[in-house]
Amino acid sequence: MSMTPGDVRSDQAERGRLTIAAAVVLAVLAWLCAALPAGAQAQAQAEPPILAQSVAEGRLPPMRERLPSEPLVTDLAAMDREPGVYGGTLRILEAQARDTRRMVVFGYARLAGTVPDGSIQPDIARAIDVEEGRRFTIHLRAGHRWSDGEPFTAEDFRYYWEDVVNDPKLGKNGLPRELLVDGKGPTVTFLDPLTIRYEWGKPNPLFLPAMAGSLPLEIFRPAHYLKRFHAKYADPAELERLVAEAGQRNWVALHFKLDQSYKNTNPELPSLQPWVLATEPPADRYVFRRNPYFHRVDAAGRQLPYIDEVAMTIAGAGLIPAKVAGGEADLQANFLNFGNYAFIKRAAERQDYEVRRWRSGRGSRVALYPNLTVADPAWRAILRDVRFRRALSLAINREDINQVVYYGLARPSNDTVLAGTRLFEPDLATRWAGHDPAAADALLDAMGLGTRNGAGIRLRPDGEPVTIVLETAGEEAEQSDVLQLVTEDLARVGIGLIVKPVERDTLERRLAAGSTVMAVAPGLENGAPVPSDAPDELAPTTSAQFQWPDWGLNFESAGRLGSAPDLPFAAELVRLATAWRATIDPDGQAEIWRRMLEINADEMVRIGLVADVDQVVVVSNALRNVPETALFNFNPGAFFGMHRPDTFFFAPADQVAARAPEARP
Amino acid sequence: MSAPLEHWVSTAPFDPERTTSLHSKLSAELLAASQARLFWWRLKRHRMAVLSLVVLGLAYLVAAFAEFVAPYGLSTRDTQHIFMPPQRLHLVHDGAFVGPFVYPMEGTLDLDTLERQYAEVRTEPQPIRFLCRGEPYRFWGMVEADLHLVCPQPGGTLFLLGTDRLGRDMLSRLIYGARISLTIGLVGVGLSLVLALVFGGLAGYLGGRTDYWVQRVTEVLRSLPQLPLWLALAAVLPATLDPLFVYFGITLILALLDWPSLARAVRSKLFSLREEDFTAAAEMMGARPSRIITRHLLPNFASHIIASVTLSIPAMILAETALSFLGLGLRPPITSWGVLLTEAQNIEAVALYPWLLLPMVPVVVSVLAFSFLGDGLRDAADPFAATAG
Repeated sequence: MSMTPGDVRSDQAERGRLTIAAAVVLAVLAWLCAALPAGAQAQAQAEPPILAQSVAEGRLPPMRERLPSEPLVTDLAAMDREPGVYGGTLRILEAQARDTRRMVVFGYARLAGTVPDGSIQPDIARAIDVEEGRRFTIHLRAGHRWSDGEPFTAEDFRYYWEDVVNDPKLGKNGLPRELLVDGKGPTVTFLDPLTIRYEWGKPNPLFLPAMAGSLPLEIFRPAHYLKRFHAKYADPAELERLVAEAGQRNWVALHFKLDQSYKNTNPELPSLQPWVLATEPPADRYVFRRNPYFHRVDAAGRQLPYIDEVAMTIAGAGLIPAKVAGGEADLQANFLNFGNYAFIKRAAERQDYEVRRWRSGRGSRVALYPNLTVADPAWRAILRDVRFRRALSLAINREDINQVVYYGLARPSNDTVLAGTRLFEPDLATRWAGHDPAAADALLDAMGLGTRNGAGIRLRPDGEPVTIVLETAGEEAEQSDVLQLVTEDLARVGIGLIVKPVERDTLERRLAAGSTVMAVAPGLENGAPVPSDAPDELAPTTSAQFQWPDWGLNFESAGRLGSAPDLPFAAELVRLATAWRATIDPDGQAEIWRRMLEINADEMVRIGLVADVDQVVVVSNALRNVPETALFNFNPGAFFGMHRPDTFFFAPADQVAARAPEARP
Repeated sequence: MSAPLEHWVSTAPFDPERTTSLHSKLSAELLAASQARLFWWRLKRHRMAVLSLVVLGLAYLVAAFAEFVAPYGLSTRDTQHIFMPPQRLHLVHDGAFVGPFVYPMEGTLDLDTLERQYAEVRTEPQPIRFLCRGEPYRFWGMVEADLHLVCPQPGGTLFLLGTDRLGRDMLSRLIYGARISLTIGLVGVGLSLVLALVFGGLAGYLGGRTDYWVQRVTEVLRSLPQLPLWLALAAVLPATLDPLFVYFGITLILALLDWPSLARAVRSKLFSLREEDFTAAAEMMGARPSRIITRHLLPNFASHIIASVTLSIPAMILAETALSFLGLGLRPPITSWGVLLTEAQNIEAVALYPWLLLPMVPVVVSVLAFSFLGDGLRDAADPFAATAG
């Protein structure tokens, strides 16, 4: 070990000279726009042309020094993809300036990340050893560096653990939920500069999925950067100056503001993502430049990502389909829905892109959420009666919705796991989900809702009409059409439905206060789970769940707030979700999943309407390595992230054409 | 130098009443005519106003009998004909005159482009039926009936303006929408007119302390910002209220905010007119203020009032359209032209389904018609305009 550094250095100097020569050749080729794939492959070890100049001038070390000694090698052939060429700007569209966070999702560099088969594999970490589901030893890659070139080591983990989350001021809110097992945190040891160990007394199956999340739990921080803003390390006078300069209340606020890797609004914050924010917000066009120290390479040893830049243009959500049809995006899925398909498809040939349909990973495209913890006692009694929920489900003609709104291409289904996934059983999707208004009428009559008013609406025992105010944040464009059909269906069994659009924040506040009777939103977030994914969505576990916010709050706060579930099935769900956390063998986990899915289907806690509404994905014809079809989901999946955008590249012959519209400001 | 003009003297006996007496047929009629008749004569000279009157009359007739005129119900859906372009009306089939008829349309879904394509099946013409039994409805929500002006053949279709994304007939929806759009503004305008006349009239005629307080109130009302007020109202009103009732309430509030400008005009006009001799004469004869205002003062500026009222009606129609467009006004299932336009508020409507934009036509036509009519009415009511000759 001791002899290597000098050798490596001299070797690298040699290589550096070679690389400069190669870079010059490649730059000339690129200049002539005549770089053939064969020519590019001959230069396999060459620098990305955009970095060649900096390397040649010595402002940037050569690739070999920028990469960890053991980079993550991506076997493109095994993924059925081809080796790419460097260069190009990937244009994407987003609706809000806050969507800079999307690049942390698309980039999807995590300590460990979910891969398309559903398992979690090491990514930033070289390896993670798991013993008994409770002792996690994280091995880092030697020579791994932050995007500013500083080493990424156990010190960054120590800083997070000691100086952020356990700092009396910064860590006021306590440890993140995923780091607690039965309310107790882990023992963290830093074995050597590349090895960190997290250890609990009992298994913590939430730990790896949390780190692999699209919105990840990051247990490390760029210590070298953040120490300047930490009272423990910084010079007090200097820190005071920085705080005043930033207009913050104190150093805690400043540290918090700068340390938001997911929000991705600080161009100076070192990152491990493939593309790093290069535009200071606010702006209406953000550029993300390649991270010259990114830790992944292709089989030929060339550093990823292939694409140099991502340019994110901010446009109104309603304008995005029009902009896509105007050829202003190379890769776009967000803000495109099924209703836009025909329009986008029409422009496909003219704008030289392809419209693909990826399978959505959500359990349901549209689902109704009866609020079982609503404050109004009369409504609470009705909604908690399973006959009412089943009657609603039976009254809705799902096939009609499918035909009218989704061209008959979706699948009428309850809100459960997707067909064809491991935990799926046909009965889960169809139970209480057929169209049977007579049965619905019978159930409602049996509940004592038999009397109707002049308009044909049933009356509650207290004489008020059974008219549900359905609140919606209205984020899916076709939702109002679906709800119109639902309104017609429910009117036939004597239930009134009034759709009330509200702001998302308002909806969350009203749910927390128990004012909302019923809400509408997409169904299960993880529609294609494997047993090792947490089944939390199926039980009252967070206050963000529309069907039982108060019970969720109770679980979330470990019983301090909210109220404990007082329906037997809900208490059973909580018990099962808790039992899953203590279970590490996959069969036991799968068994718990099945029981929970069964209870969910039978109790009809979410009334799913249609599933398998494909995601429309627009892919420029010049862009390669984008899967023909795949699963599109936020968590797990990170939208494109799981499908490795760092391996996407622009085909050289088309590169000029693809970049031409980029000339506009 | 020119020659002096020849001096000519009529030898007929001089009749000093020649132009005003019964000897002249025209004058006789003019003299005998009532105010209303004079008004009508003057209005008739304004061709566009008469045409607008006819158009509006027809529109209101259609709105009144919407259930009868519309071939389909408001929410009737035909799942087999979604996003179908307007069906063409034909007269001649295979060289033979059949009368107005349509060909059945056969729809296919192109699974590649997800576009629905419709083609006429040119073998079997479907003549349109007139005054026929069709879809049952409740006339004005009260009387059960099933008589329609036009109906499709049983089992056939008649979508003369195409269908929307749920397969609903655009023509029928336009007709039902007319009922809301054409009437809802009238209430607001009527109320604001009454308020303006009462408060403006009192302030202008009585002056002094009354005038002072009416002026202060109008100033306060005029300074209220309206958009935040509507937003607040939309948030406060419970969702279980009938959406039509909510919008009705909003128009009422609009009217309550709207009257000050007209009231000010009334007041200032009355200020000047009450100093006129004829007002003094009426006072001398013991007329009460209400009689003086309504019989002597108001007719003097009726033209101004008529103009402002007829211009407020299209403003109300546009306001309804705009508020609905913003999501503050009417909401489905209530259907107005504004609601229909809101539903067409996307790029697909422009690119693929242009017939969804048709509700613009009645909005434009009715607004123009009201403007022309207002123009004609103003001219006709103006006592200072040239009299008919």
